[in-house]
Amino acid sequence: MESVNEIKEALSARSRTATLDELRSEGKKKVRLIRAEQVAAMVVEAVHAAIEQSGLIDPKEAERLVEKSRVEFRSILREREQEAQHAHDVEQKLATSETQLRELGARSQELSAALADTRVQLEAAGAESTRHRDEVIDTRAEVARCRSELEQAHGTIAELQEQVAQVQRTPAPVAAQGPGTDLLMSLVNEMASMKANLMNQQAQERAPAAATAGAEFSAAIDKLSGTLNDRLEKLGKKMGVSAAVDGDAVDFGGMFKDTGKLLESNMENIEVKQKAGGGIAANLARLKKLKGGG
Amino acid sequence: MTDHSKKSDRSADHGAETAVALGKGLDVGTANLAAAVQNDEGGITVTVERNAFLDIPSDVYSKSMLTKLKVPYVVHNGKLVVIGEAAFELANVFGRETRRPMADGLISPNEQDALPMMKMIISKLLGEPRVPGEDCYFCVPAPSLDVDNNVVYHQGLFESLVNKMGYTAHAINEAHAVVFAELAESDFTGIGLSFGGGMANACITYKSIPCLSFSVARGGDWIDKNVAAVLGCPRSKAAHIKERGIDIRDPKSREEEAVAIYYRSLINYVLQNIKARFESGQNMPSFTTPIDIACAGGTSLVGGFIEVFRDEFAKIDFPIPVGRIFRSEEALTAVAKGCLVAAAIGGS
Repeated sequence: MESVNEIKEALSARSRTATLDELRSEGKKKVRLIRAEQVAAMVVEAVHAAIEQSGLIDPKEAERLVEKSRVEFRSILREREQEAQHAHDVEQKLATSETQLRELGARSQELSAALADTRVQLEAAGAESTRHRDEVIDTRAEVARCRSELEQAHGTIAELQEQVAQVQRTPAPVAAQGPGTDLLMSLVNEMASMKANLMNQQAQERAPAAATAGAEFSAAIDKLSGTLNDRLEKLGKKMGVSAAVDGDAVDFGGMFKDTGKLLESNMENIEVKQKAGGGIAANLARLKKLKGGG
Repeated sequence: MTDHSKKSDRSADHGAETAVALGKGLDVGTANLAAAVQNDEGGITVTVERNAFLDIPSDVYSKSMLTKLKVPYVVHNGKLVVIGEAAFELANVFGRETRRPMADGLISPNEQDALPMMKMIISKLLGEPRVPGEDCYFCVPAPSLDVDNNVVYHQGLFESLVNKMGYTAHAINEAHAVVFAELAESDFTGIGLSFGGGMANACITYKSIPCLSFSVARGGDWIDKNVAAVLGCPRSKAAHIKERGIDIRDPKSREEEAVAIYYRSLINYVLQNIKARFESGQNMPSFTTPIDIACAGGTSLVGGFIEVFRDEFAKIDFPIPVGRIFRSEEALTAVAKGCLVAAAIGGS
């Protein structure tokens, strides 16, 4: 059967294909047809006849050789087919590996991006943590200071109460020499109000202190401190026992009073050397962006 | 009038005359004074003058010669006082020391004529304010680690001086100004170093916010003093050697060798102090990514400075990761430029 196939392949390789129209155009109205099996039979017959005529090999021996060749051919064909199949398998594995590699590359890029994001977040968190730590330290210091001020305020209130009590006990011989009744009543009311506020704010300070955040606590302390300072200052001024007030910022302008006089000089006629420098637009843009304005 | 309304008024009041942004920067340095202002070409204009003067006998001939030579002078207390770079050059010619209004980064307590001389130089550099109360940011040093100095007095003095000229004065830390000028690419996160005449200032910032600033009372003058001592020459001569264009990586003479030795010592001293502050752990920021170090200041202008800085940096085990180490391209004027950035952003 293989010989027939081989004959077919040989015929295909050595013949041409032509359509009926092409044959017609070549002037051929009829064509002779022969089957490949018949050609194969003719070839086999011709080979056998040639061998018989040569007398070199016995026809049976020739048949045996043909059969042996056929077996070897089949064996080689199988090997080639197996190799082809193996190559095909390897090719498929390679394609699969390449696909996996691409997927892994993409995944690696995603992970790298996620890692970079995490690093940025960690960096920001680190800075934020440092800032919070500083705020906590500042807040603690502020709380300690406010507590100290509270204790001082308690003392001042006690002293003022004592002074008011003394004033109330002492009869006022002349209205102009001491505080009037209205003023005394106002003072007593103010102190009562202040004391109530103080107690109230102290309670607020103790109860939610642990629960509230540092910023809220700090704000409450600031408010308490401010209220106390304002009231004590007002009260003190009324009683004539005001504490010293803050001075203005130091003005060093006086240090230049002798430098204002006109000195003989040629400075007006001298040009200062100027040079150009790089612009600052990029710096400003970055700063505005940082400040949230860009 | 508030700052904001002042800024708004300027364009209405002055129109095209003040198309450029207002605000000026002033570097009050021990060795040099510099003023920076934005120009109408999108860049900045910087004026620099040596912070020094020299008194010479006053006579008609000298005055005439100085005027012809365009050398600035002022007659003060009966003496002819030459001001600025010319004083430095004359001092070298006559083998004398210049008089210096500032020492170790601060107004000099030993120089009684310091204030009038500085006022004249600063007036010349800044010029008149373009609108009344124009913002002027001037630099002040940070408190020193190694000497007890009075920065408050110094700051108050110059605040008053600048205000008196018609500006609204604002103080900014000197090394912080370096960060504003040089670390924009790093989002103003890093270390700014200003190597000045009297001091070396350091400022560590995170996104433009100063986390730590300090100074050491060593700078170009310290190098001059030591070089003069070992060579037996006036300090102005030592300064001249230092500034004549030498390369401290490759000293060519005994004099240059002395300069190189003290430069290396100064750089090492500054780095060791920064390292020590980081290692002390008090109120120190922690950086997870490498930060940049920007160097500026007149003392950093010497050839090979940044290479020697990198050499010395490599020798110490610095406690935080560091990326770029570079010197400003305009090292002498970087502080003034940073002050100008602060002035421009301060009112925006």
